[in-house]
Amino acid sequence: MRKLLPIVPLVALAALATVAAAPPAVADVKVVATVPSLAAIAKEVGGKHVSVTAISLPTQDAHFVDAKPSLVLKLNKADALLAIGADLEIGWLPALQTQARNPRILSSGAGYLECAAHVTLRDRPAVADRAQGDVHAAGNPHFLYDPRAAAACARAIAAHFARLDGKRAKAYQANLARFLAALDGARARWEKHLAAHRGAPVITYHRSLTYLLDWLGLVEVATIEPKPGIPPTASHVAAVIDLGKAKAVKAVAQEAYYPDKTCALVARKIPAAVVRIPGGADVARGQSYIQHMDEVVNSLAAGLK
Amino acid sequence: MSPAVAQAAASSFHDPNTERHVSARSRIRAWAAIAILAVTSTAVAQPSTEPPPEPESEPVPEPVPDPDPAGDPALDAELAAALAADAAAEAKAQPPPAAPVSGSVMNPDISFIVDVAAAWFGEDEHLQTGGHDPSKNGFNLQQVEMAIGKSVDPYFRFDANIVFGAFGVEVEEAYATTLALPRSLQVRAGQFLTRFGRINPTHLHAWDFVDQPFAIGRVFGAEGNRGAGVELSWLTPLPWYAELVVSATDPVGEGTARSFFGPTELPLETPLDVQTTVALKQFAELSPDWSLLGGLSLATGPNATGHDNRTDVWGADLFVKFRPITEASTTVVSLQAEVLHRRRQVPHDLLVDTSGYAQVFWRFAARWGTAARWDFGTAADDGGADYLDPEWTEARHRASASVTFYPTEFSRLRAQGSYDMPGWRDGIWAAFLALEVSVGAHAAHKF
Repeated sequence: MRKLLPIVPLVALAALATVAAAPPAVADVKVVATVPSLAAIAKEVGGKHVSVTAISLPTQDAHFVDAKPSLVLKLNKADALLAIGADLEIGWLPALQTQARNPRILSSGAGYLECAAHVTLRDRPAVADRAQGDVHAAGNPHFLYDPRAAAACARAIAAHFARLDGKRAKAYQANLARFLAALDGARARWEKHLAAHRGAPVITYHRSLTYLLDWLGLVEVATIEPKPGIPPTASHVAAVIDLGKAKAVKAVAQEAYYPDKTCALVARKIPAAVVRIPGGADVARGQSYIQHMDEVVNSLAAGLK
Repeated sequence: MSPAVAQAAASSFHDPNTERHVSARSRIRAWAAIAILAVTSTAVAQPSTEPPPEPESEPVPEPVPDPDPAGDPALDAELAAALAADAAAEAKAQPPPAAPVSGSVMNPDISFIVDVAAAWFGEDEHLQTGGHDPSKNGFNLQQVEMAIGKSVDPYFRFDANIVFGAFGVEVEEAYATTLALPRSLQVRAGQFLTRFGRINPTHLHAWDFVDQPFAIGRVFGAEGNRGAGVELSWLTPLPWYAELVVSATDPVGEGTARSFFGPTELPLETPLDVQTTVALKQFAELSPDWSLLGGLSLATGPNATGHDNRTDVWGADLFVKFRPITEASTTVVSLQAEVLHRRRQVPHDLLVDTSGYAQVFWRFAARWGTAARWDFGTAADDGGADYLDPEWTEARHRASASVTFYPTEFSRLRAQGSYDMPGWRDGIWAAFLALEVSVGAHAAHKF
């Protein structure tokens, strides 16, 4: 019996640790979103009834996220997983889902929502072949730069939350209505802000700004990457510069997480302005989706001036 | 249908200039008219909250003719007949579109990875221990790996790694993983690489070098420690990531359990004769840019010198990764080190040795990485001969360095040089140039 005694404090310690790790008493819906802009939209729709975590940072390319074990832990406790889909997260999310030991957030689970299913995707390749670069067979997944797609996602998220947490369905619906109204107002403002630049030619780094440019009526005349995911070559960059000069391109745009030396070079040679588009809403610092899009639109407007 | 024909069919469907598309559109319009009739006659129109359908959505399925009692039966019949005739004419003119064919989407995700290497060794007899290491001067097919995976049902997922080599086909791994056990438990059953340490559970595709650290080959065998068996793992409720893994696997296999029964096909006499592996894995996210992963492992089982003689392998592993994600960067720096401490009971004696490696990897440009590794292994310290490696009477060290060019995440070209310093004989130079390409489903990588 004496030999067993040291076990008692050990068990107590383990029990304490378990209690310390237990979730708080408030029954929030725990939501994990793969990208920060999606997290920002989920926060608008969920309001005070949900706690939202974003897996990736706005400074991070969501194609290449490390499947860190700490993310396994987040998914293990999550009630809902919001993903972009269209293979954006294919290199890491499935590994996390399998390891999370949480059937709710599996792709077959009640908590899983893939937003690409609620948006009209562009750039769907006629032939899915990686000789064309890192193409997405289902279409271009960078749709959250179009506020109309963001609105479609918000509706889908509200319906998703209502299914998971039926008692608060009305609250989610009210949050959604409020968000959509604000977003509509903001969209009118953004469109007006850039109305004078409709038809303006723009050069981008990766085909990730397609939705943004299409929405604002800007024309992507070339990408600095010769093919999606393939780094620029000297001859391609030279051709892009020539094209930029010929078309009098005013802005060379790229997400902040891409290397910017080539963009700066192309912009200098044309000459045009470099526009750094934030990769997503900075939710960790409390930035909302609308504030994020304000930044996006303002930086584009500054570049096109 | 051949893929080329399917492709042609699909692309012509998406081409707005072909007749196929026009007739499809008119068909959609006709059915839309019927649908509107049906909806207005049966229900109050409701504002749709659904987004508009995709312009490039899959072909509209053939609706079952459902004459609307409130509509004009004659017109409906005429419409249905005309549409059926159109459809029949179309079916003759064009093969049906490629997707979706029900059933095909149930196929597992499949990818193929090919590793080939040119090699040159400074000595005729080298000491490479990895089953997929380049092994002879000249060209070597390291492996053709087929990775397969898919959900089985809501409760299981299936994964397999099947390797085609110069000498045939080998099932490296084929196992089921549970998806819905309560209490953060997970079971794997089948044949799998045990989760001893950091490198053992991984395949060549995930390594920073052309070859395997010699510690793995020496202690577990050329293929790494694996076997048919079952594994239970538990994600503890601690506030940080702490996972406990316990597995029981077959102790037999020269290339997979060499310090246990190895090539000797001894029968299992008691349940204790299986190989038991226990591992604790802990992770700390020091900051968004810095990660720390540490593990402690123990593999224990009977060895080839008799059922009562046991082998214990104690392992410790450490992985530190620096990858800035709080600003635009392609830099990755990682440090990985592992130690395997082996104790083997042999008749009237105990053989004790320690092997391991430490390596640093630096991705210094978007498409370039370089790595350096130090391998070491002490001699079994009883003064007598080691029954597995009788020549291993002194410590062995090996230094390796590699440079890798990654055209994309699906291909890599790697040059590597190494100098092996076995204490019992002269040093051995080796140079490798290896190519890896992968096609098929995009694999998701663990950390």
